[in-house]
Amino acid sequence: MGKKTLEIYSVELSGTKDVEQTDKEDGKERYRGLKNCFHSKKDHHTEKLNKELDLDDHKLSIKELEKKYGTNIITGLSSTQAAELLAQNGPNALTPPKETPEIIKFLKQMVGGFSILLWIGAILCWIAYGIQYSMNKSSSLDDVYLGCVLALVVILTGIFAYYQEAKSTNIMSTFNKMIPQQAFVIRDSEKRTIPAEQLVVGDIVEIKGGDRVPADIRLLSAQGCKVDNSSLTGESEPQARSSEFTHDSLLETKNIAFYSTTCLEGTATGMVINTGDRTIIGQIASLASGVGNEKTPIAIEIEHFVHIVAGVAVSIGILFFIIAVSLKYQVLDAIIFLIGIIVANVPEGLLATVTVTLSLTAKRMAKKNCLVKNLEAVETLGSTSIICSDKTGTLTQNRMTVAHLWFDNQIFIADTSEDHSNQVFDQSSGTWASLSKIITLCNRAEFKPGQESVPIMKRIVVGDASETALLKFSEVILGDVMEIRKRNHKVAEIPFNSTNKFQLSIHKTDDPNDKRFLMVMKGAPERILEKCSTIMVNGQEQPLDKSTAEAFHTAYMELGGLGERVLGFCHLYLPADEFPETYTFDVDAMNFPTSNLCFVGLLSMIDPPRSTVPDAVTKCRSAGIKVIMVTGDHPITAKAIAKSVGIISANSETVEDIAKRLHIAVEQVNKRDAKAAVVTGAELKDMSPEQLDELLTNYSEIVFARTSPQQKLIIVEGCQRQNAVVAVTGDGVNDSPALKKADIGIAMGIAGSDAAKNAADMVLLDDNFASIVTGVEEGRLIFDNLKKTIAYTLTKNIAELCPFLIYIIVGLPLPIGTITILFIDLGTDIIPSIALAYEKAESDIMNRKPRHKKKDRLVNEQLAIYSYLHIGLIQAVGGFVVYFTVYAQEGFKPSILINLRVEWEDSNVNDLEDSYGQQWTWYQRKYLEWTGYTAFFVGIMVQQIADLIIRKTRRNSIFQQGLFRNKVIWVGIASQIIIALILSYGLGSITALNFTMLRPQYWFVAVPYAILIWVYDEVRKLFIRLYPGSWWEKNMYY
Amino acid sequence: MVIQKEKKSCGQVVEEWKEFVWNPRTHQFMGRTGTSWAFILLFYLVFYGFLTAMFTLTMWVMLQTVSDHTPKYQDRLATPGLMIRPKTENLDVIVNVSDTESWDQHVQKLNKFLEPYNDSIQAQKNDVCRPGRYYEQPDNGVLNYPKRACQFNRTQLGDCSGIGDPTHYGYSTGQPCVFIKMNRVINFYAGANQSMNVTCVGKRPRHYRDKGRDEDAENLGNFVMFPANGNIDLMYFPYYGKRFHVNYTQPLVAVKFLNVTPNVEVNVECRINAANIATDDERDKFAGRVAFKLRINKT
Repeated sequence: MGKKTLEIYSVELSGTKDVEQTDKEDGKERYRGLKNCFHSKKDHHTEKLNKELDLDDHKLSIKELEKKYGTNIITGLSSTQAAELLAQNGPNALTPPKETPEIIKFLKQMVGGFSILLWIGAILCWIAYGIQYSMNKSSSLDDVYLGCVLALVVILTGIFAYYQEAKSTNIMSTFNKMIPQQAFVIRDSEKRTIPAEQLVVGDIVEIKGGDRVPADIRLLSAQGCKVDNSSLTGESEPQARSSEFTHDSLLETKNIAFYSTTCLEGTATGMVINTGDRTIIGQIASLASGVGNEKTPIAIEIEHFVHIVAGVAVSIGILFFIIAVSLKYQVLDAIIFLIGIIVANVPEGLLATVTVTLSLTAKRMAKKNCLVKNLEAVETLGSTSIICSDKTGTLTQNRMTVAHLWFDNQIFIADTSEDHSNQVFDQSSGTWASLSKIITLCNRAEFKPGQESVPIMKRIVVGDASETALLKFSEVILGDVMEIRKRNHKVAEIPFNSTNKFQLSIHKTDDPNDKRFLMVMKGAPERILEKCSTIMVNGQEQPLDKSTAEAFHTAYMELGGLGERVLGFCHLYLPADEFPETYTFDVDAMNFPTSNLCFVGLLSMIDPPRSTVPDAVTKCRSAGIKVIMVTGDHPITAKAIAKSVGIISANSETVEDIAKRLHIAVEQVNKRDAKAAVVTGAELKDMSPEQLDELLTNYSEIVFARTSPQQKLIIVEGCQRQNAVVAVTGDGVNDSPALKKADIGIAMGIAGSDAAKNAADMVLLDDNFASIVTGVEEGRLIFDNLKKTIAYTLTKNIAELCPFLIYIIVGLPLPIGTITILFIDLGTDIIPSIALAYEKAESDIMNRKPRHKKKDRLVNEQLAIYSYLHIGLIQAVGGFVVYFTVYAQEGFKPSILINLRVEWEDSNVNDLEDSYGQQWTWYQRKYLEWTGYTAFFVGIMVQQIADLIIRKTRRNSIFQQGLFRNKVIWVGIASQIIIALILSYGLGSITALNFTMLRPQYWFVAVPYAILIWVYDEVRKLFIRLYPGSWWEKNMYY
Repeated sequence: MVIQKEKKSCGQVVEEWKEFVWNPRTHQFMGRTGTSWAFILLFYLVFYGFLTAMFTLTMWVMLQTVSDHTPKYQDRLATPGLMIRPKTENLDVIVNVSDTESWDQHVQKLNKFLEPYNDSIQAQKNDVCRPGRYYEQPDNGVLNYPKRACQFNRTQLGDCSGIGDPTHYGYSTGQPCVFIKMNRVINFYAGANQSMNVTCVGKRPRHYRDKGRDEDAENLGNFVMFPANGNIDLMYFPYYGKRFHVNYTQPLVAVKFLNVTPNVEVNVECRINAANIATDDERDKFAGRVAFKLRINKT
């Protein structure tokens, strides 16, 4: 039994049912992605799944069901029963995927990145103390303190990163709660709406077209009910549902509707048989949640960077450990050097800075309607090279709008912008007067009352999409439509149906002298024209001859070719003698004429593109991002919208276009001539992956029309095979696999389902394509700015490291202490490096190609070399000058310092001679050493100010970028100076911190080097701008 | 360290490395062509050359601010420190009376240390000054006029002078001499025109003591000082610096411990009593004082 169900189940999942037997192979290939989503659970949990699937509710009769669940299909459950069951079984909601326990997340932060290195440093400290203690019981506790400080640094940065992550997760979870699902249920013999979470087994629920099925339901009655099971089975065809038991398998029988699938049309009543995690989808979800997410590009970049820095730290550390040992230093000393080297090399504050920078951008993006679920997705968006976008709602406004009118043998363009304010077509003609009357009267749509203060375009309308469009159109032009309708009292009406293809109504006119009835009609243009014998031109009725019919056809074809939905309008004044005022119209008997009418005009509607989209698409194009439209719409409409937003540019043609222009068969066209392609779902179905690859590489402008959500996944996979970073928009449950598969899944905030939002990395609050492009811009900016931040942070590491190396090799008194280094890394440098996140883009950000995942690294060779070996070395030299100045002016000239280390550090030598013959006690020297630390610290700080300023740009001159445009940089500089002042003058008396009060003039010793850094970098940038592509740029541009 | 995304066979890796070291197609050595290497070497030559020049220049400018004669700042040396001779590793003078080798090195050091104090050398190089007042030698308009020093004769050290001393500064008899000297500080007028002297006491560090009783004071026993009273004369001050005060002889105070309790460690603290030298600095244990350990092992 178990085996059998499994087989059926997997067949369902691979979706072979709707695939022809002949292309079974292809079908399997195509649904691979979906299968993968569910794959892992199969192996491990088949046993459990099969047991759960062993249900027979679909085989039971209604009476048996009532008995089994203790319910009644008329009265439903009682409230008390329901409450009991709810308490017993829990709410009807999927348990969110098992999250990593908080403690594990926390510990991960503790050991991730550089933390391991710092832990090693801390442990080495304690080991060193242990050795010292075993040799001399009264050895100083300095090493223990240092070890504790290092441990504290790791713990604090860990807590910080953990807090940041938790915060960003919280944003998302609050967002999720905003949209509770409702269910329509019968309880206590009453119909009521309750949150779907409160449903219990045995509840009688009603569903209708458009609803999401709130639980697993055994249908009791159904009227034309069809469901979309694609999220469960991968079948894109709507499935009819009825109350009959049709198949032994629970998954195949027609009388079961599954949780989280969508009811597409019709209505149904059913009994809840499973809730929450016990539903079929719940079982799959809980099993599939183990599917790991791929690493985001920025995570890979940061890992790469951590590896570089850790590699440098460890190799220099080990190298100098060996050097130290071979220079006959004691092992204990060598260990302490190793600690110093590690601490100097590791940019302790950097990962925290990166997190802050990313979350600042995430906040900025949220303001621009991109809600980012995980911080790293911020940058992923920036490296996007292909965007697969939905059409409806994303590229378009998601509402029908009147786009063109045709009357008096002329096509007029209506304003389709978001507010409709600017209707410029000629409204003086008599024909327009008649047409507008028909538009107003032959329309059943109405505004919901109480919306007088709401702008017309935003009012809520009861009625279908096209009628809504017409109502709003006429309201904008004519004013109060409801009032006009009142004045022209409606006496009879035939609503639109698909057989008639027209809609008709008969009105009394508002002209008190005209007692005739006015019959107005709209419908499919060719049907309307058939019924007409005259046509109105310039307000005058004229017989409908061949030439006018020809004009009509031309106009009709033209508007149809624009992908617009065209309606024809006609009217007839019924003669007063035949139809007196008291005449009773009978719509069933049709006791009135419906032919020989007067044709008035055509009107076409489209879901128009959002006004911001064409700009956004142009931006994408210049940014080297390919925009692919994926829609379920008709190819003509899709193509028309693609053309109007620029996805297919004005001068590019499809193969079909070329064929039409040259009057040759499609097969004869050289495919290389066409830049654009419109591919339908049916064509896509027959393509092999190789053909799809070819399509994606050869055409720069692609529109996929009439596609199913499953095909979206195939398209995404195809794009990813081209090594592209793919962003995909989606809203339906069945888009989730594509959203998950994509490098960045973008769910729609308004139209999107919860499942889509869960699978996505980002939620678009306004559903607007233009917001994605803003997001891309922000993402690219953050990548650039992170580069700057990292370059800034890495630079001073050399200035911190060199003192140690010189100390070991030359034997100078230690120029800068480990604690002091920590005060730079975690004190003065933090705010400035965050400030770089606020830097504006250097002009070209959306004019360059998306970054190549493997070639354009965040930290590349040039960045590391320029930071380490150029600016870093200048800083080190500058720092040493300050250090030597302090020592020389106190009595120790540079020459005497060489190889002084051993005596200098010996606490029993209390009469060490300086260059002048004066003698120093150990403490006096120690104080001087701390003054040296402070001086070196100040030297680095001063040069870091220059470093901060030069890092504002990588190519442009600082003066092009503007020195004062980014105010936060100046806050950063101020913070650096203030922190340094506090450390030196405020905390100078606390010996443990090793800071002393520095003479004011020493603050300026490094200034020449700061200026040198600035000038040198300006020269570097100048040559880069002057000689693009040269040896210089290749080696010096990071 | 490097995460292997695609598994590469060992041969491939070697091949890739080979190609990285020398790529015969593009003539690249370690990823660069010959010209590129030449450029990069030239660049770094120029860049680091310039940086060295800049460093030299700034150091030269800085050294111009420093005089040869006195340091620019002396704020750290307000209180001169005290130090003992013989200089031992942990400031502990351990004498095994019967074991000549244990103290012989001290004796050698002291011989060497005291050599410049020989009366003959002193008489030859230094002036006889008037005691009890500073020996000031103003430049009187001549820049950096060389300074004379006052005599401190070895004979002033009495029993500790070691001249014709068969006991080797008392080390062979268990009555060792320890010499106290005060650190040199340029232009420091020690004592502020009043006489000053060194005093020594046995003093066990507070946390090693037994209930307020200081055993070390008792264990130390008697001692004599040379010059008498541990006096340091004002005439040895001020010091004018190594360069211009060439033959400066640092005054010494010798302490001869006569009957230290043998076979115990005795902590001794000597401090200077001078009007302008504070001896109570919490952090600097050697400011105006010196602490050392004395242990005489007798069998």
